[in-house]
Amino acid sequence: MTKETFLHDKHVQLGAKMVDFAGWHMPVQYTSIMEEHKTVREKVGLFDVSHMGEVFVSGKDSLEFLNKIVPQDISKLNYEKAVYCQLPNTNGGLIDDLIIYKLGILNYLIICNASRIDEDLNWMVRNSKNFEVKIDNQSHNYSLLAIQGPFADKLMRKMGLNTQQDSFTIKPAKIANIKVLASRTGYTGEDGYEILVENKHSEYLWDKILEDGKEFGIKPIGLGARDTLRLEAALHLYGNDLDENTTPIEAGLSWSIPKDKTTDYNGKDIILEQIKNGTSKKLVGLKMIDKSIARHGYEVYQNGEKIGIITSGGPSPTLGVNIALAYVKNNKEICNGTVVQVMIREKLHDAEIVKKPFIEKRNKIKL
Amino acid sequence: MSIIENMLCSKSHEYLYDNGDNIYTIGLTDYAIEQLGDIVFVELPEIDSEFKKGETFATIESVKAASEIYMPISGKVVEVNENVINTPETLNEDSYENGWLIKIEATGDVASEENDLLEYEDYKEELE
Repeated sequence: MTKETFLHDKHVQLGAKMVDFAGWHMPVQYTSIMEEHKTVREKVGLFDVSHMGEVFVSGKDSLEFLNKIVPQDISKLNYEKAVYCQLPNTNGGLIDDLIIYKLGILNYLIICNASRIDEDLNWMVRNSKNFEVKIDNQSHNYSLLAIQGPFADKLMRKMGLNTQQDSFTIKPAKIANIKVLASRTGYTGEDGYEILVENKHSEYLWDKILEDGKEFGIKPIGLGARDTLRLEAALHLYGNDLDENTTPIEAGLSWSIPKDKTTDYNGKDIILEQIKNGTSKKLVGLKMIDKSIARHGYEVYQNGEKIGIITSGGPSPTLGVNIALAYVKNNKEICNGTVVQVMIREKLHDAEIVKKPFIEKRNKIKL
Repeated sequence: MSIIENMLCSKSHEYLYDNGDNIYTIGLTDYAIEQLGDIVFVELPEIDSEFKKGETFATIESVKAASEIYMPISGKVVEVNENVINTPETLNEDSYENGWLIKIEATGDVASEENDLLEYEDYKEELE
């Protein structure tokens, strides 16, 4: 049975086109993906991302437990800070990617992908055997609203947010007199917030944000633009760019993994070995030379030889060209500036390997 | 809207409009365009290429996905609409007068091939 967020009726009332996504009936667009994309890059957009999972982890061994299941060093995570993490299996393949927040002493919040909540929970429970830890899935009790774009901060301040927050921090706050957790994070490459709120307040808050955001040109944004926005920012989408057969090193996530973490974690040997010796494949950005569009699953060629596969692709509304992410053979001859070919409907189309992200991200806020 | 009043529609959302002299215009219905959303790429066949009823003759891509477009009847391509190749968004504005895809010369038994096509009103009803 398809699940609905607490904001489902709002989307339908707004005339959204609804689709099934990861078992949820979600808005893919309200008016036009291109317009919604532009709104987030230039003004501010509101997303319902309540389908995402919220799992609270607490208890005496919560730190040790988290350190066992992610490559990141959670002992270095300070109060009210967030860190981008992965959940590797014992082979280093990714069960999911997540954000972990430290809410208090021995009290953490994990936000994970909607499509992976069950796998994540199973994996966490299996790994928790030797730890005194409480794994509390609260996904059904919380709504998550993302406010993203250059005016996101102004809008939140107008609505009463009075915290001082760098990017990747989370704080208890009040917005429109509603108690929320305000996280300065997102999935668009823009500055913005993700607001965790109890379901009973989500409809009121949704309406109020759209109302108060009018002067900033706010629009509701569907999953379609969420995908084009994250692709321009080269942010990975689980299921497309990440899966259980892909390690974080292959995925270009070495920057997120400390090399000096002393404690053991799942997949550590393989991950460290790959950091040291390299991997056989790597994730690169592609820019199509002609007007054709590379899509998930299309093959990539060089000199007639298959060298890789597209994992995500589509138009970049900001750049006016078509872009893609692809796993290709990891060798020195395949680098930025190299022209390769993508097989599209039995024809080869030239594409240039370009640096990621495709656009300049504007989400590093440091006060 | 002379096209809408006189066209036939397939269940896969192509329309067929009779120009007379065995020449037909083929395009996508407004319903199909509405479902696809922003059109960003259109690939049309070469002039003189021939297709049987039901074969893929074009590809239309929205932001999200590529869709194949099928021949509502058999025919040989006599004209393609360069305008929609150069500005795919034309289709979002109007898929009839300016946003048609190709013109063909019918090569099959049109009367029998048209059997499973519907008039616009019936097509719309079928969708509901």
